[in-house]
Amino acid sequence: MQYLLQLLISGLAIGAIYGLIAMGFAVIYKSTGLVNFAQGEMTMITAYVAWTISTTVSGNVFVVAIGAILAAVVLGLVIERVVMRPMLGEPVFATVMVTIGLAVILRSAINFIWDAYPHGLDVGMGRGIAHLGGIGVRTGQIAVIVTLLLLLAAIWAFFRYSKIGVAMRAVAADDRTALLMGISAKKVHALAWAASSVISGIGGVFFALSYDLSPAMFQLGLKAFPATILGGLDAVLGSGLGGLLIGITENLAGGYIGSGTKEVAGFAMIIVVLMVRPFGIFGERDIERV
Amino acid sequence: MPTTLPTSTHAAATPQAVPERDCLLEFRNIRILYDNAIEAIRDVSIAVPDGGIVALLGSNGAGKSTLLKAMSGILYTEEGVIENGSVRFRGEDVHHLGPDELVRRGIVQVPEGRRVFAALTIDENLQMGGYTRTNAEARERRDRVFALFPRLHERRDQIAGYMSGGEQQMLAIGRALMTDPALLALDEPSLGLAPLIIDRIYEVIVRLRDELKMTVLLVEQNAQRALDIADYGYILETGRVVLDGPSKKLVANEDVQEFYLGISASGRKSLRDVKHYKRRKRWLS
Repeated sequence: MQYLLQLLISGLAIGAIYGLIAMGFAVIYKSTGLVNFAQGEMTMITAYVAWTISTTVSGNVFVVAIGAILAAVVLGLVIERVVMRPMLGEPVFATVMVTIGLAVILRSAINFIWDAYPHGLDVGMGRGIAHLGGIGVRTGQIAVIVTLLLLLAAIWAFFRYSKIGVAMRAVAADDRTALLMGISAKKVHALAWAASSVISGIGGVFFALSYDLSPAMFQLGLKAFPATILGGLDAVLGSGLGGLLIGITENLAGGYIGSGTKEVAGFAMIIVVLMVRPFGIFGERDIERV
Repeated sequence: MPTTLPTSTHAAATPQAVPERDCLLEFRNIRILYDNAIEAIRDVSIAVPDGGIVALLGSNGAGKSTLLKAMSGILYTEEGVIENGSVRFRGEDVHHLGPDELVRRGIVQVPEGRRVFAALTIDENLQMGGYTRTNAEARERRDRVFALFPRLHERRDQIAGYMSGGEQQMLAIGRALMTDPALLALDEPSLGLAPLIIDRIYEVIVRLRDELKMTVLLVEQNAQRALDIADYGYILETGRVVLDGPSKKLVANEDVQEFYLGISASGRKSLRDVKHYKRRKRWLS
């Protein structure tokens, strides 16, 4: 029982990180109709910037958090403006290929700007152990689960009640008609990239906090992608929950079946789910009527 | 309704203004190319006077929708460019403006096939129509739309994609009205709707002109219906205006009766006769 709880909690913690990155995928897909294959790399860069701030400016947790969020906003806006906007109106396939190219460039940028060694992000908290009913949990793990839940609630409210949130859904549904209503698709896309960069960047910083920082961190994107597919590409909240599911599945498979199955468990699960619900657990079925 | 923008008297004072009529919208000698090669519109001039309904008729591929796209500034999404001529609104050249600026100035169109945001609720669809307006303005406009289409009010929290075609058309018109337009363009509002529903939609269009003094540009294939309510009509064939005039004159025109209204002096005609007739009439080619 103790063992199971331990597995569940650490599964939730890593799952929350997947969930944050998966939400990053979903925010971009929902408002631009693109799958951004550079999501993991953007996550990694934000985490590296956070580490640089913590070692050069200040190790204070608030300074690092605000600095990382600002850096993520700038990163998202720059990528949208420089790389994605010229591709507006081009075929989706070509645009997605561009994100793959971008991923490779960002990945090598880590080695140019920083280095290839692993680092630990230390902000003076997050590595302590808290005891929950006899189970030791790192405070960073609790923090990431709480952050995910808070963000889920905030994003739900944003898409449901705010004018710009509804506009993002409208642009995703039919960008030309949105133009006819005077909605600026450019503004909506820029906002989506910035928001996506921040959300997944938070996941990256938490990962660096609980584990470590290395140029292989972009693989988090590959791990989070199944979570997005599982939850539904167009379902931001579903993607967050999908991340938790993948995290738990991985940990249970790794703990009970064998550590070799940990890597494949998530993917095995999405194959089964996609056979039953091709649009994901929380994805929207297309409404078809003429 | 025109509110703060300059009125036609102001337009008449400027040197480039059209002298004869109070034109709200005007296409002047416009030529539109797609992909820099395909000529969709050839030297077309169309005037839409303030406060009337102008019908733009023609068959598939005549260029009607292309003109509306040029008007709304979204030609670029289909690699289209205005190669020559201009689009003027209230006497001012507007063809270089972006779609959001055109909406702010009072031009809006209801696109062909309604194009409601299917996954959004009716309320959210209307909210998107009022995107360029402040929240207070949007709320006031929404009440007016609900007064015009009580059906939308009944179903306001429902998902738009699940409504019937007629209700979706009402929503598309209501959504366009949310922008507070001076000029409302409708691209084939009768497309795929039952005759009774078309009657309802057309009644609303007439009310918009008579009660709200709105200017309407009505694009239709259904010539009979459109000429019934329009004040003036243009007939477009393969990118050119082949005939124009007041609706009553157009309805009486022998060629229009022949090709668009399906009436002829010698009773029903076979398709072969029509083809032969078309070959004789140079202006139709």
